[in-house]
Amino acid sequence: MALPPRDFSTIGPREGTRFPEVVLPDQHGVTMDLHAARGGRRALVVFYRSADW
Amino acid sequence: MAVLRAFANKQAIAFPLLSDEGSHVMRRLGLLNERVQEDHAAYGIKPDPRHTNLPYPGVFVLDEAGVIVAKRFHESYRERDSGAALLAQTLRVLEPRPPRAADFPGPSIVVGAWLDSPTYSFFQRMHLNLELRLAPGFRIGAPGAPHGIAPLTVQVAETPGVEAGAAEWPDAEESRRAGQDGPALMHGGTIRGLVPLTFAAAPGAGDLLVTATVSYQLRDDAGRLLEPSSVEVRVCVSELAMVDRALPVRQGA
Repeated sequence: MALPPRDFSTIGPREGTRFPEVVLPDQHGVTMDLHAARGGRRALVVFYRSADW
Repeated sequence: MAVLRAFANKQAIAFPLLSDEGSHVMRRLGLLNERVQEDHAAYGIKPDPRHTNLPYPGVFVLDEAGVIVAKRFHESYRERDSGAALLAQTLRVLEPRPPRAADFPGPSIVVGAWLDSPTYSFFQRMHLNLELRLAPGFRIGAPGAPHGIAPLTVQVAETPGVEAGAAEWPDAEESRRAGQDGPALMHGGTIRGLVPLTFAAAPGAGDLLVTATVSYQLRDDAGRLLEPSSVEVRVCVSELAMVDRALPVRQGA
């Protein structure tokens, strides 16, 4: 059984837009502001399924 | 957070891992996959209460201003980029030549070759890195050079379980000035190229040998062409078990 293809360009924030503000705790419990942490540098934001299984 | 800390420690991860407890950010960003169970069923994965509130796995590439310049999402959960491949393809950050790189000499050229990683796991994507070092005073026909000189090409030998994509090279220099119709050449010195590879061998396939033939033609500073030539490069890659999953035992292994 094959999955129906998805159009990922319309899933989540679009290309050409500023990545939304994200403030979340990191693995040490320290609150991190994504854009502030970049400090004007380029960045990769990776979403992954799980670190648990 | 404890799960992330344990994972970061185990995998020696130094970059920040953010905890989206309750999946609020994923939901706000529209990245929550509402069809996880359905997707998993398509791959023969049984329902599991932990497999909920999951994002579509993917990567956003941000420029200096935080604007999204590229998105990389894979349809199949199995396809993953190696870290080095991701950096090379998205940010054009090429890793320095690692000590494991091997050199393969040819006429007036030495081709260094290595993979992003000395190991692969099932459905991993990485690159064959090629570093062409030309003898002083020589330039090389660019990929796709239409005439006048043989173009630079890479042919990855058919290897079961390895799928090769199109090679990526830097742009050719502007050799055709107004009124001139010379061959398209690449700069001399050192040229770095990348050939994307996907390792689709079934788990347990073991070590693999990737062989590729680099074909080229050189031109010297006086405009003389050398005979077209080629260099064969060979790199070994060993299989790595997926995180927390042992490799199947091979028959006769």
